[in-house]
Formats: sequence, C-alpha cells, structure tokens
Amino acid sequence: MNNRLLINYTPGTTPIHRLNGATKVMGFIVVTVYIIMTFDARIMLPMFLLCTAGVISMRPNWKPILLIMGFMFIMAGVIGSMMIILIRPSSGLTHVGGETVIVRWTDHFFISRELLWYVGAMYFKRLCSLSTAILFILAITPSELAAGFNKIGMPYKICTVLSLAFRTIPDIARDYIDIKNSLMMRGVELDSRKVGLVARLKQTVFILSPLIMTSFGRIGTIANAMDLRGFSKLKRRSWYSEREPTRADWIARGIIVLVAIFVIYYIVFVRVLNPPPFSYWSPWGYW
Amino acid sequence: MDGKKPVIQFQDFCFHYKIQNKPTLHDINLTIFEGEKVLILGASGSGKSTLANCINGLIPFSFAGKITGSLKVNGLETRDLSIFKLSTMVGTVLQDSDAQFVGLSVGEDIAFAMENENTPRAEMLPRVLRYATEVGMEDFLPSLPFNLSGGQKQKVALAGVLGDSMNILIFDEPLASLDPHTGTVTIDLIDKIARNGNRTVIIIEHRLEDALHRPVDRVILMDKGRIVADTTTFELLCSDILQKYGIREPLYISALKYAGCELDKIKGLEDPAFMELSSGDIDKLHKFFAIKPDSQPTEIGEKAIQTESVTFSYIRGPKAKNVLRDISLEVRKGERVALIGKNGAGKSTLARLICGIDRPDAGVIYISGNNQKGMSVREIGEEIGYVMQNPNQMIVKDIIKDEVELALRLKRLSEDEIASRAEKTLRTCELYKMRNWPVDAVSYGQKKRITVASILALEPEVVILDEPTAGQDYRHYMEIINFINKLNAEYKKTIIFITHDMHLAIENTDRAIVLAEGELIADNSVFSVLSDDDIITRANLKQTSLYTLAKLIDISPERCIEHYILFERGHKGILDEQ
Amino acid sequence: MKEQSLGRLFLGKWNTMTLVAVAVGAALFGTLMVFGSIPIFANTYLTSAMIIPVIVGGLFGAVPAFATMLIGNFVADLIGGWGFWFDWSVGNGVLGLFIGALPLYGARIDEGIFTVKHAIIYAVCCVVGNAVAFGLVTPVMTAIFYAADLEITFLQAFAGGIANTAVLVIIGIPLLFLFANRYKKRSNLKEEE
Repeated sequence: MNNRLLINYTPGTTPIHRLNGATKVMGFIVVTVYIIMTFDARIMLPMFLLCTAGVISMRPNWKPILLIMGFMFIMAGVIGSMMIILIRPSSGLTHVGGETVIVRWTDHFFISRELLWYVGAMYFKRLCSLSTAILFILAITPSELAAGFNKIGMPYKICTVLSLAFRTIPDIARDYIDIKNSLMMRGVELDSRKVGLVARLKQTVFILSPLIMTSFGRIGTIANAMDLRGFSKLKRRSWYSEREPTRADWIARGIIVLVAIFVIYYIVFVRVLNPPPFSYWSPWGYW
Repeated sequence: MDGKKPVIQFQDFCFHYKIQNKPTLHDINLTIFEGEKVLILGASGSGKSTLANCINGLIPFSFAGKITGSLKVNGLETRDLSIFKLSTMVGTVLQDSDAQFVGLSVGEDIAFAMENENTPRAEMLPRVLRYATEVGMEDFLPSLPFNLSGGQKQKVALAGVLGDSMNILIFDEPLASLDPHTGTVTIDLIDKIARNGNRTVIIIEHRLEDALHRPVDRVILMDKGRIVADTTTFELLCSDILQKYGIREPLYISALKYAGCELDKIKGLEDPAFMELSSGDIDKLHKFFAIKPDSQPTEIGEKAIQTESVTFSYIRGPKAKNVLRDISLEVRKGERVALIGKNGAGKSTLARLICGIDRPDAGVIYISGNNQKGMSVREIGEEIGYVMQNPNQMIVKDIIKDEVELALRLKRLSEDEIASRAEKTLRTCELYKMRNWPVDAVSYGQKKRITVASILALEPEVVILDEPTAGQDYRHYMEIINFINKLNAEYKKTIIFITHDMHLAIENTDRAIVLAEGELIADNSVFSVLSDDDIITRANLKQTSLYTLAKLIDISPERCIEHYILFERGHKGILDEQ
Repeated sequence: MKEQSLGRLFLGKWNTMTLVAVAVGAALFGTLMVFGSIPIFANTYLTSAMIIPVIVGGLFGAVPAFATMLIGNFVADLIGGWGFWFDWSVGNGVLGLFIGALPLYGARIDEGIFTVKHAIIYAVCCVVGNAVAFGLVTPVMTAIFYAADLEITFLQAFAGGIANTAVLVIIGIPLLFLFANRYKKRSNLKEEE
C-alpha cells in the first residue's frame, strides 16, 4: 500500500528531508506563490531548475514521478494545447502580443509562433508547479505536514484532521480491497475490461455502501480515544514530530525570506503598479 | 482494605442514556481503593462498559444522559469535572486497539496526550521513551501503525495513558482482538503496570479464564446494570452464578465440577498450576478422566478442497518472501475444520488462494476434485463461500431480503428461481420472518446470519468463516456457534473456521490445521494440537487450563482434553434434548 | 428533536466527532479520487469520491462537507502527486457546500429522513452547485492563475461539472435512500409469515 502513494510516511535522510516541517511548509507556500505570480519564463526557469535539483538530491524512486510527468504531458501538454490551438488560435495575439503566422489553413485555423510560445509557456508553468509539488510531497511526511502547517498559523484542529486523514488512508485501502474481493465472490464483475462505463459506475455503489459504513463506523471510537487523552483542551498544542530548527533550517528559512521579499516586490511593482501589456513574456520584444 | 484511600466511590449511582428508554445503571454502590486491581465481569449489555465510561468522563461528555447519585474520583465529584480534568487522572485503554491509535507513528501516539497539554518537545521526548520502555516498545518509536500487530498497538495505547499524574487505569476488554498468547502477554503487562507505583487498575472483561491469568484483588460481577457480586476470585469460582449471568467458567473449574470435587475446600483454587488438591479430589479426577465417553466419528465425505504443495508470495522485487510454503492439505465434505495461527502466519492468504482471489505461484488447488486454476473467482464463489469478520464490510443493501437476493440477481436467475432460493436460504438462517426488516434493525448475531445467508444463497459446499465470534460474549457466541453447527449437522455444509479462539476450536471442530510462518506445522485433532508444546509456542497459542490441570494430576494432557471435550459434547447433547 | 437554527445546521456541530468524520471523509475522498476514478477527458473524471462529502453533509452539515471536499482534494493531490490544482480544489470545496447542505432542507440521514422531495431538492442543489463551482469559480481562478482564455477553461470545467452531476445524481440518490433506510430508528417491526 505504502509504496503506491507518492507521499512517504517514514522520513528520509537527505539534507532536504532533514529540514523541519515548518521550513518545508514555508518554502512550499513561497515557491507556489512565486510560480503563480509570474508568466515570465525567465523568472520561472531558475525556480524550475532549483526544484528539479532538489528532487534529484533526494534520490527518489523515479518510476512514479516519470509516470506522472508523462500523464501531465498528455493531459496538459498535448490535449490542453490542442484545445487552445483549435478553439482560440488568436490567443497568441491576446496573451503574447503578436501574430507571426507560420501556417494558415483557414481564417480560423492557423498557427503563429506566438501561439506556440503561449501554449509552450503555459505548459512550462504547469510543469513548474508540478515540480514544486513533487519536491514538497517527496520531502515531507504527513506528520511534519500537520505540525508544519500549525507552526505557520493554521489552527491545530485542521492540522489534526490532516494527520488523521493520513492515518486512515491505509486502513481504507485495506477495507476497499477486502470488500472488493468479497463482492467478486458473490458475483460482482469488477474487471474494467469486461463491463461498460455505466455498469462500472453502478457497481461502485456496491463497494461504497459497505466502505462508508465500515469507515464511519469507527469515528465514534476514534473521537472517544482522542477526547480521553485531552484533545482540544487548550488553545495551543505542541507536536512530537516537529523537530527543533537546526542551522540548516535557519539557512533555508533565510533563503525563503529573500525569495519572499522578491515575490512581494514582483507582485507589487511588476504585476500591480506596472503591469506588462501582455501576460506572457516572449523573446520577440513585445514587452 | 481499611486505612487505604478510596479513589473511586459510587454512591446510589444511576445512569440513564438519553437515547434509551430505560436506565442502564441502577443503584451502584462501589468503592475502589488506591492500588487495588479489580476485574469487572459481565456479559454484553450488563453495563460494565457504561460503568467505566462514567469513571473516565465519556459519560456525560460524549454520551448524554441523566445521572443521579454521586460518583467521586480521587475525592472529587465527577459531575463538577470536565473530561479534560479527568483525563489527567484516569487513563483508558479501549477495546479497539486499531481505532484508538491516532498518531502516525508509535512515538507520536504515545505523545498524543502530552501534545494536547502543549508540553514542550524537549520534555516530551524523554517521557515518551520512558513510557515506551515500560511497555517494551522502546525499539519501535518510529514504526508506523500499519506495520504493528494488534498486541503491539495495544501496548502503545497503554503507554499513551501512563502520564505522571495518572493513578487510575481502565482496560476495556483488552483481550478482545488478541491471539491467545498475546492475550497472556497483555495480562502480564497489566499486572506489571499495576504493581508499579500506586496505580489502581480496573479490567473490564467477559473472558474470565484469560483475565485470571494473573491474580486480581477483587471481582465485580454485573448483570442488567446492577452489581450482583463483589467478591474475591476464590468465592466467585466456588459459586454457581457464572453461567447464570452469561460468563463462561474456566475449563478446569468445569472439569473439577464434573468430577465432583468440592471446590471451596481447594486451597489456591484461583491458579490451576498451584492449587492444592486433596488426594480424594485427585482420585475423583482420575476416575472422571478414566471413563471413556462415546465418541461418534464424523462421517468422512469426498474431498471438498485439496491443496497440493501450494506456494505463494506477494511479489515485491528482490526481497520477495514466500508467504506460504508447500502447503498440502485436504478438507472432506461435512467436516468442521479450524484454521489456526497467529497474525501473519498465512491463514488469510491461504483462504484467499482457496477462494481464487490470489493464485498460487506453484502447486495445485482442487475444489470438489476440479482443478481450480480454470475457474473464475465467481465460479469458485458458488462452491466456497467466504464470510468476513466484520458484517459491515459485507452488507451492501438496506433490506435483509435484498441482501440475500443480491448474488442471485447478479447471476441473472429468473424471478421465480430467485424467490424460491432466497426463501429457502432465509428459512435455513431463520431470517424468513424478518425478511423485510432493515439490516441494521437486528442484533450482531442476526447480522452475522445475514452475511452467512447472503453467501449461502449461492448454495456453496464449503463455508469459510473468518473469526465469526470475535468480540462476542458467551451468550452471543453460543447464538452464532449453534447456528453454524446447525448448518453443518442439518444442511451438511463443510465449515472452515479461521480463528484464534481456542474454546471455539476445541468445542466445535474435528480437526485443526495450524500454520506458522507460512508453513503447515500441524494437521491433527484439536486435542493433540493443544497438547503439543512445540506447536503451541510456534503458533502463538496458549495451553488451556485443562493442560495445566492434566500436568498437576499427572495424566496425559491429550487424553485430558479429548476426554473433556467428548464429555462436554455428550453432556450438551443431553441438555439439548431435554 | 430540538429545532435548530439554519445557521447551526449550515455550520454543523464542531466537536471531536465531527473533526474525525471530516478526516475520515477526506481520507475516503482522497483514496477514491486516486484509486477509484475513471478518466474521461482532460481534468475530468467520473469519480465516486464525490459521494463522500454528500454523506458527511447529510450526517454533520454543510461546512463539514465543504471541509471534507477541500481537505480531501489536498490529500488526493498529496498521495497522487500530480501537483496542486488549487483552482479545482476551491471549485470542489464550493460544490461541497451545495451538495452537503442536506440538513438545511430537512434531510437527516442519521435519523433516517430522506424523502422524494428531498431527493429533488438535492438534485437541484447538485446542478446549481456544479454550475456555480465549475461554471464560475474554477474557470475564473484558472484564468487568473494561468492567463488562460475563459472560454477554454470554461469548456474544461463544464465537462467536469457534467461528470460530477451525473455521479452525484445517479449514484448519490440511491445511496442516500439506502443510508437513510439503514439509519432509520425501528420501533414497530412485525414478523411476517
């Protein structure tokens, strides 16, 4: 079960793994805002390289990552781009600022170099946010995640919900498999190759009702076990899994603060006070 | 107990759950003193868990209701205390060791109470280590809950309530989900914790024989919300009230009674290994065990299931380890067989292989003489029915009849055929009169019958039952077992129990198949298996008190157990006919 | 039963039990989303996960359903590892508010109350909720985050909305009847010959 999830329950040992939860969460939030704020490939590129280097430094299992990358490429890269090219080829003009046509079939079907840049840059932006996500997911364990979010000001009850959710996932997966097997023995055909879409949808009802009953049947006991150990008695809560910040954490946090200052500067001065005429930067000097 | 400080005082205490129409606890007057170890005994619905929940504050915090009378914990009236205040004095280990594990690692779960106190981490870490050491889990602090056994989870739960200010510990049915050996380890551990410091320990159980593995100071027997006995273990064992209140007597006590010994004359009766039997008693026992009762050999039918050198592993790269190695066995039609072994020994895997959910890497499985390899899971399902432990995991529909008809509808039988087969099944399972009831309107035992009925509708030859009686008290246990035995006797179904309940195996099966570490280590009558030390150790079983008794009076344990079982069966048969 | 104000029904009762329910709901949502969904279009899945917030809503109120959906989405993103699609997460959260609003119009699953009238209101809520969430919230956010054309993001979100509505109505209504039946208090059951 564990190895089918990308997130790891047990902490790793590389330098990034050893940072504490709050540092990881802060870093993730700043980098996410960084990627969302800009449409300028020159700004995105260094962050992309940094995140990729970070992922490589953690020596991950590449197979699931490449699988996700491939899936992303087809969904956002191929299908997403095709939709834009087919439905709104003038996007190059509106978002990049020019229309240097390369091929033209009809008035409505043509490809310009700005259009290609636009879909390429948009895909690159998706790719950047994917690589930050993968970096974050690989670096953090669910307990650090809960503790880290609490440390940066998220109410601890919400953080406990997150941690409990991860506690429950393997149990749910086990129940799911057990229920599925028992249904198969009673004659429910769950092989996706043998039944159609509607039939499959209907059969998920068979799994859902026992799965929901079993999972929700436990919540009373879990809640009692928590109340009996004083959950929610105080306004604040400490965390066993939140390691004290080390020198590496302070250095990382220093870098994060610098990036954050840049992000604020960029948003205020580039995006708000002095917005570029077109959202996407391109090498052809429209802005 | 004079001079001792009372820590729990019930005075004319009554409790009435808001959602029920009658009070659950009546006129409770009970004082428990500092350092005492008390066993609260009672069948389901006797109010024993309600009593515990009044002490730890879940009542009225989580379960609303009306309290009259007084309950003081450490001298403080509980109605003036919050559950949070009580949680620093009363620690509770719940029955479900899995659900109460809320942390993502052993360390985190032990720290949970301290986290809620906002204890600084620097102070928390050494305390976690100390509590973990006290229960023997110090090497597992980073371990994930999913990789722990039930016994280990329970130790963690125990460590989690060992806070410094905690002077009362409540164990709510600690043995319910453990295998027999782990159960004794738990009782040992509770005993050790009880002796450590001035802790007051309350154990709530209905499994008397297992709970008495280590001595307790006092036993409180409850029935229908009242305390019916507040006495010593010795007095209780001598009395005749246990059966009356739905508690199973320890086997050695029953044996002594059958032999006609005078229990109240036996010194040290509480402990079968060291009790002092008079020569008269020993004679009586020898005489009792010398009579050869009639044994009716079970008729052996054709082979229902046969496995030949079955080997299996869940392939996980180069670390692949065989979960089952070279298993060869057969089950004949009409037999009742117990499949025994500790968690992870391969019992469930073997069942999954037989049912075709997983397929063997090597070896062959025959079902009614046909190679199972060519059969789909569905086809096997018509020969072999598998009943899961938790009925909630199996029930799909809301109405009993619909649930029973589900498999028939999926088979696309004609309406007439569905109606007639469903009726037959419902009558077999004595559910016909309730056929239009919702599935949740019935008792646990009836719910179990619904799940059995839902697979019996397909008319399988063999029924595999996974822990059919787990967590049930004696009365409900008998309700379920009688039903299954009827299926075997009247409807000639072959029954395979997957279980670690030794009582169940002894009394209701003809043969035990024992697995340990993926290997078949025994395939023999239950009494020979249970008298073999080597098998008992390897399979995490536990000698019954009959074994201990046999050693004490110096007869062969195998004969002792066999004799006892046959006597009981004959005895019960007579009782049933009356 | 005590009369409860609409606001109370909307917010739900926030005790430990509700928190645990949201956590279990989010875990179910995440697991079903990652392992139990059928992709049919870019970013569009037929997934039974959608039912979970409905049940949480029916048992605990609209805001717990919203929380289940939002946290469940985050959990799904974390275990699936396909990146964080905040535009879709927020849209889903908004949808959760609508589909989890059952107690507001008197449907109480835990007390066995769910009638044809409730089913119709529920179906309307599903349609309206999807229209607001994926006709408005998600496309606008996608347009802001990625400077994509509203027209195209709208098309994608629309497909997602249709798939959701289909699942919510086709699976949701029978399940709600089934659960209401199971939770119903029984007092006058008679044995029949």
